[in-house]
Amino acid sequence: MTAATDITVTLSVNGTTVTRTAGGHLSLLRWLRDIADVTDPKYGCGEGVCGACTVLVDGEPASACIVLAAQVDGAAITTAAGLCEADGSLGPLQQRFHEQHAAQCGFCTPGMLLCAHAMLRDADGALTRDEIREQLHGNLCRCTGYTDIVDAIEDAQSRGITR
Amino acid sequence: MFVKPFRYERADSLADAAAMLRAADGGAKVLAGGQSLLPMLNLGLLDFDALIDVGHVGGRAHGIAREDGYLTIGALTTHRELERDAEVVADQPLVSAAVGWVGSSRIRARGTIGGSLAHSDPAAELPLAMVVTGATYDLTDGTTTRTVKATDFHESYFTTALAEDELIERVSVPVLGPGWGWGFAEVSRRRGDFAIVAAAALVRVMDGHIVESRVGLAGVGDRPMRLGAIEIAVEGAGVVDVGERVGPLEGLDTVTDVSATAEHRRHLARVLAARALTDATKRAAA
Amino acid sequence: MTSEIHTSKLEELRVVHQPLARHDQAEKIAGTTRYAGDLAYAGMLHARLVRSQVPSARLTRRDVSAAVAVPGVVAVLLGEDVPNNEIRVDVPGQTIAVGALQASMQVLATDRVRFHGEPIALVIAETEDALAIACELVEVGYDDLPVVSDPEQALADDAPSVHDGGNLLAEWNIDRGDVDAAFADAAVVVEETYRTQFVDHAYLEPEAGVGWIDDDGVLTLRVATQVVEHYRDVAKILGVPDAKVRVIAPYVGGGFGGKEDMTVEPYLAIAVHLTRKPVRMLWTRNESLLARAKRHRNVMRYRTAAAADGTLLAHDIEILSDAGAYAYLSALVLLYSTVHACGPYRVPNVRIRSKTAYTNNPPTSAFRGFGGMQMVLGYESQIDEVARRLGIDPGEIRKRNALVRGDRLPVGQEIITEVQLAQTIDAVRERAGDKPAPSGPRKAVGRAIASNMQSYGRLVWLNDSAASWIGFQMDGSLSVRCGVPDIGGGQASSLGQIASEILAVDIDRISVHFGDSSLNPLAGTTTATRQLLMSGNATYAAAVLLRDQVLGAVAAETGQPVESLRMDTGEIVGPETRTTVLSALQICRRRNVPVEALGTFFGPKGKEVTRDLDGDRIFPDFTFGTHLADVEVDLDTGEVRILRYIAAHDVGRAINPMSVEGQIAGAVVQGLGQALLEDVVVQEGVNLTPGLFQYMIPTATDVPDIETVILESGEGLGPFGARGIGEPPIGPPIAVIPAAIADAVGARPTTLPVTPERVLEAAARGSRDA
Repeated sequence: MTAATDITVTLSVNGTTVTRTAGGHLSLLRWLRDIADVTDPKYGCGEGVCGACTVLVDGEPASACIVLAAQVDGAAITTAAGLCEADGSLGPLQQRFHEQHAAQCGFCTPGMLLCAHAMLRDADGALTRDEIREQLHGNLCRCTGYTDIVDAIEDAQSRGITR
Repeated sequence: MFVKPFRYERADSLADAAAMLRAADGGAKVLAGGQSLLPMLNLGLLDFDALIDVGHVGGRAHGIAREDGYLTIGALTTHRELERDAEVVADQPLVSAAVGWVGSSRIRARGTIGGSLAHSDPAAELPLAMVVTGATYDLTDGTTTRTVKATDFHESYFTTALAEDELIERVSVPVLGPGWGWGFAEVSRRRGDFAIVAAAALVRVMDGHIVESRVGLAGVGDRPMRLGAIEIAVEGAGVVDVGERVGPLEGLDTVTDVSATAEHRRHLARVLAARALTDATKRAAA
Repeated sequence: MTSEIHTSKLEELRVVHQPLARHDQAEKIAGTTRYAGDLAYAGMLHARLVRSQVPSARLTRRDVSAAVAVPGVVAVLLGEDVPNNEIRVDVPGQTIAVGALQASMQVLATDRVRFHGEPIALVIAETEDALAIACELVEVGYDDLPVVSDPEQALADDAPSVHDGGNLLAEWNIDRGDVDAAFADAAVVVEETYRTQFVDHAYLEPEAGVGWIDDDGVLTLRVATQVVEHYRDVAKILGVPDAKVRVIAPYVGGGFGGKEDMTVEPYLAIAVHLTRKPVRMLWTRNESLLARAKRHRNVMRYRTAAAADGTLLAHDIEILSDAGAYAYLSALVLLYSTVHACGPYRVPNVRIRSKTAYTNNPPTSAFRGFGGMQMVLGYESQIDEVARRLGIDPGEIRKRNALVRGDRLPVGQEIITEVQLAQTIDAVRERAGDKPAPSGPRKAVGRAIASNMQSYGRLVWLNDSAASWIGFQMDGSLSVRCGVPDIGGGQASSLGQIASEILAVDIDRISVHFGDSSLNPLAGTTTATRQLLMSGNATYAAAVLLRDQVLGAVAAETGQPVESLRMDTGEIVGPETRTTVLSALQICRRRNVPVEALGTFFGPKGKEVTRDLDGDRIFPDFTFGTHLADVEVDLDTGEVRILRYIAAHDVGRAINPMSVEGQIAGAVVQGLGQALLEDVVVQEGVNLTPGLFQYMIPTATDVPDIETVILESGEGLGPFGARGIGEPPIGPPIAVIPAAIADAVGARPTTLPVTPERVLEAAARGSRDA
């Protein structure tokens, strides 16, 4: 049995600088949820396969459950809450999700939103529905059947919304 | 979620990491992108005292360059960098194609080529591409560097030729020569999952006929393997008949697991080898 | 456009029937919803289970000394530490020598384990790190016992007993008409055996919760559950009065039946009870996949007789289901299988023998469709085969045999609402148009339809009821209190819509307080597609009571006849006067008229069944539907791509069409997962698929857009004529996919999931037969 080494990690979380000293073995997901009380990234599998813990690390989507917080010390982290307006109301992409009924139980939704944001931001030309599905394949949803989520992303794209 | 505490150590160089590995005496593992290692850790499949993070080292472990008929790829190159690199797409498209099948975009964004090769999953796409292209790996222990062929490096399930204090520094992949074409075919139960079977092929065509070929499979044995018998069988074939030259692979030694029976794997191996060869021949002839 | 609505008998509605963006979704999308695992108390403890590593063994040793010694560990509890370690479950309709049969299981196993993953010890610590270390140090000695790995083996004479008293947990029989005579007269007889697999709910939110002793001294659990009424079971385990336990269900990250039985509740409760501190318990995905109850795998042997014109004459059916290691709800699930076994068709002569047997496999229990859905594979495959043999169109044969109002099911229940099965068949076909062409030379395209029926509402003899309370606030806004757990289907928000409709208060001025067993009137479980029927009708009743109270007070005050008054937004409108709601509330106060009301709805009643089913009503009612699928098969690899999928259901009335469409699309994709991908593989009792890498649910690339056609007959028993829709659409996918593959390759896969290997096997049979 080995003692954990405590490590001081500083992350910019949705624009707010957060510095905490905690075990160096903590995943980014545990660090965010248990140390920084940022609970919108969810634990769904611990294997990076379900996408519920998706966050942006310096703008790139990552599974927070299979990244150590210490690995990304100094990075800018964006969670779904970071897509909201400054007053906490829904941002444009989130509005599309709301109006298109793209959430049911809502547990996959924070990760879905970040996946959708990154694909719209990086799209080289208009994405077809099949291309949207292709890019969603790493984010599992068990409630919606995906159709409403694809609708929301397509709707956002048609309005030029990326976040 | 419930992970036994361990020490997190950050290496400044590969030599530094090798020294840390020696000091830990078997109690440490190397962390690169972590996209294979950390899932296993979370599942409780690993037990170690320390993780040595090489993600921040610089030097030869980074970057993609073309040198003397080879593409040299730093071990810390991510799947995404590899997938999008214009030089790789142009000079060894088989590698670009193979990496496109790896996991989700999140995994490709963080996972590294060195990490994937050192993990040595027998169903993984990258080791297969390396074996078929005839790549070599530079391994270093901080003081000496040796070069090992991909075919010799991948020894068995999750087992490689790496010594306990060695790391992959960079990979050299021969570029696709004139007259050569490539093909890659895979079947998985679900998009982004490890292959049940994957096949990769390179062929050189002259006057519409195959004069040289390299074909390999992942997902059928304990490591990626070349199929010498098929390479002989397709010699002289063209686009129309290359697929038919791939006979039944009844002797293929493979396993039954939760994703497929051995019998189905043998069937898929034949179908996919034929598809990869057909595509490669078409490309070479074009 | 992926959805269309066909409406009849629609009264004038303002809010109900509108496709409203649900209020709960805004918080979920903003990321602010606090799910069960998101709540944390400063200084809370953490708890984790040590689970059996083997499927069947006598426990020879449980040594906790090393675990207790780990710094930060507060306690390691064994079964002996649990006040009442035994949970007893009623097994209805079954008898032993005297009285009703009860099955038992232990909260923590003390002397014997019966499945891989069964809880043995509960570790409580100050940190999750300490748990990670300590759980590995609990030493358990196993003396392996024989493993009973399948129900056929379980029922053999010489089978080892999983529980004392043999492995047959429950059986049900139906005998109607003269089956043997019908087979003797038949123009065609079709016989086949169908097999379904264990399936996991695989909701995205693993089991989780936090518990504490609240300021009122009540042990309070805030957990991911479909059933807040488990507070009673928790109280029994702790040996405290029911009134001293409270369960709160926050928004749940998916249920599908998997959070119908207790999961974290007993363990969290024991940890809180003994430490008197707040405790959090999170199950890993691995634990969820290993140890929580699955969908039953069924073996279904069908023999079907039909006349030359396609009229179904008889079914002779044997069902055997795998109950796994503990009883849970297996007997009831099998009852659903038995009652639904003939599908939405009139079958005059029926013999059904069904059994469920204990094994050393993971326990099996509730899952969306609850035993009814597996049978769709059987009855739809059979009717297709009858049609093929007689050269009748698959749609035509279904219409010819479809139940109509006044028909009786084999179990004896009369169909009391209009059945629009034929309309659903026409709807999917009209929308589908022509079958597409294959995309290449070694590809084959197939099309098929499959229909089903599924009950909504609980078994009538359970005397189901639900209550809901609505009160006006002084400013005219509304509070609704109803104990319904919201598991993502819009259960809470639809109550707001109903209240808004009747009381003419804007939906954004209504709060729905839900999922609390102490502070809400109890509404029963969010299971069995019952909440719209039950809590919907209760809320409807409360709203009508409250409206009538307020209108009565205004009538008395103004001297107008009460019948002449109605509520409009913000005011009470009469022939001559308009009274603001605020004035009306003042009038109520002056006249001692309450401005709140409690509505209670009692479900339909009936008598309890016995093992030999021969009675009357057993369910409140049923929902009917038809699905159509186009698939393309790769004849070399056996891969199946779904090109097109259309689902039509008569939902009676869509309270919120967007929620209805979402329920249908989600259920379809869950069903498609069972059809093609999902399989909890258990080999000699050992679970080989305990992660989401191995247990594969559909991704966005595995399924097409789900097109829905909503029919509104207005015939349902719910508010405004609604039928339940949560479960019904999960049935047809498991039949329509094999049928479409059969259309493509010439022979039908009969075992789920239809893996590429099974597709190739069917294709080989198909080309042999051709």
